[in-house]
Amino acid sequence: MAEIMTAKERVLKLFAGEPTDRAACFSGMGNATTEGLTRLGYKFAQVHLNARQMAETAATTSKIFDFDCCVMPFDLCVEAEALGCKINTYPHSEDLLYPTIKEKIIHNEDEMDIGVPGDLTERGRIPLMREAIGIAKKDIGDSVPVGSYVLGPFTLAGQIMELNDLLKLSFKKPDKVNALMEKLSAVIVQVAQEFEKAGIDYITVREMGATSDVLSPRAFNTLILPHLKSIFKEIKVPSVLHICGKTNDIVGFMMGSGAKAISVDQKNDVADTRKKLGPNALVFGNYDPYNVLVSGSEDLVRETTRKCLDDGVSAVWPGCDIWPTVPPENFRAMMETVKDYGKQ
Amino acid sequence: MATEERKSEILDKLRNAVIEYDEDSAKELAQTALDEGVDANTAIFNGLVSGMQKVGALFEKQEYFVPELLMCADALYAGLEILKPHVKQMDLGVRGSVVIGTVEGDVHDIGKNIVKMMFDVAGFTVYDLGRDVPLDKFVEEQLKTDSDLVCLSAMMTTTMVGMKKIIEDIKKKNPKVKIMIGGAPVSQDIADKWGADGYAPDATNALKDAINMISSLKKLKEDAEANKKI
Repeated sequence: MAEIMTAKERVLKLFAGEPTDRAACFSGMGNATTEGLTRLGYKFAQVHLNARQMAETAATTSKIFDFDCCVMPFDLCVEAEALGCKINTYPHSEDLLYPTIKEKIIHNEDEMDIGVPGDLTERGRIPLMREAIGIAKKDIGDSVPVGSYVLGPFTLAGQIMELNDLLKLSFKKPDKVNALMEKLSAVIVQVAQEFEKAGIDYITVREMGATSDVLSPRAFNTLILPHLKSIFKEIKVPSVLHICGKTNDIVGFMMGSGAKAISVDQKNDVADTRKKLGPNALVFGNYDPYNVLVSGSEDLVRETTRKCLDDGVSAVWPGCDIWPTVPPENFRAMMETVKDYGKQ
Repeated sequence: MATEERKSEILDKLRNAVIEYDEDSAKELAQTALDEGVDANTAIFNGLVSGMQKVGALFEKQEYFVPELLMCADALYAGLEILKPHVKQMDLGVRGSVVIGTVEGDVHDIGKNIVKMMFDVAGFTVYDLGRDVPLDKFVEEQLKTDSDLVCLSAMMTTTMVGMKKIIEDIKKKNPKVKIMIGGAPVSQDIADKWGADGYAPDATNALKDAINMISSLKKLKEDAEANKKI
């Protein structure tokens, strides 16, 4: 295939199962970089709260490094905030800190029967997200796919109540946890549909809390998977299910969620996953975003990129958010290797 | 005074209460142990801790996962609360204090709490700073309490980077302090690069390391007792 595709063509064809000019190199999770922020003159703590700054920051990895995507937001608090949680963006800190939930809405078991606001999509930063997606679409949306993400129901539950309690209750009172996740799944679908209306080309559902490091594959199958299925059924744009940590035992379940593609991190043995899921399944990830991309040498970056492709990933895709201080030369080395080695 | 047989029956039951995450039984049995003259230290180590060792093994075999682990920890604490006031100061030669917390930006504290529990059991004085702790606070608290050990935890790649600065600052001010880092994104490589003295990438390892530590304490205690008898 001689023609060079735009990032958007490449990624959309990948999701459609059609041939591409080379392997795509993109992410469904945060990929703001200090390099990008510095060029724009923005502080990390601000970009979460300003639609234009968010959109411009998200576009930098494509503009500077030719990364095949533009993804926003950068934090994991959007849905929880819309549900009434208070967030902390650490505005006074000199360090790079991601926003966290400062105040949860469920404080004990009796408060799990939450009311979902009727105007959910007008709350918190949902309107800001719509605006940011719109700005990015106008800016680079013709040639670069604009993506976003939402949390999975279990992970979102862990944002709005104590994870400690959630984990114990998932064992002691699964009915209560199920009822909560059903509500949250509807919330997630609503938010995802808002992002779709705003123009995203693909979406990732991040269910990090449900990894086999934490929950048994059996619990994943009975407690989490039904809710994920109900979410993916409602999503129209190409979708990815991301779970980090140990996932080899659940990749089959993940693929059965109805997501178009699955995303795993460096703890997954991807060659084994590929064998399990067959040649056509879309498997992303496995690329260690910190130990390789940020603190590894350029050689390690190149070697890892080749190894991921050799092991059978469908796209080079960091297994988590990219830590912003990624050295520009490492980012370039990854892109160069994909452009060169990923041409099949 | 209960017979030796009865005592070992109580200890077994106490152990099982932890393994079967039965908080109520753990409480009751701890009280029974005291009522029937079982030494509180023995009840902690040969009952509660012994149960937690088994839990660690089940966790490693992936028969237990984090929810079970947390429930077992609750059972252990329920028993510990009753036994602790009756503990005789153990002369193990390893008395110590530890500052522990989850770094700023990270609100996940399950791993931290499991490690804290093992220090509690071992009779350490634990200064728990909680979670989302500003970096300077660790340095301050170490200086204030003159603790031997500082444990830092971060569950996400996006927060572990802060640990590097804390390690540098503490080591600069007090090179003798031992620093342990923990959390999913941490590796031996990172621990080495940043100058940490130990690391545990996940709850399994944290638990295992903590259990190793407690087991060697137990051994010391047994040796001390054997010596006394001679």
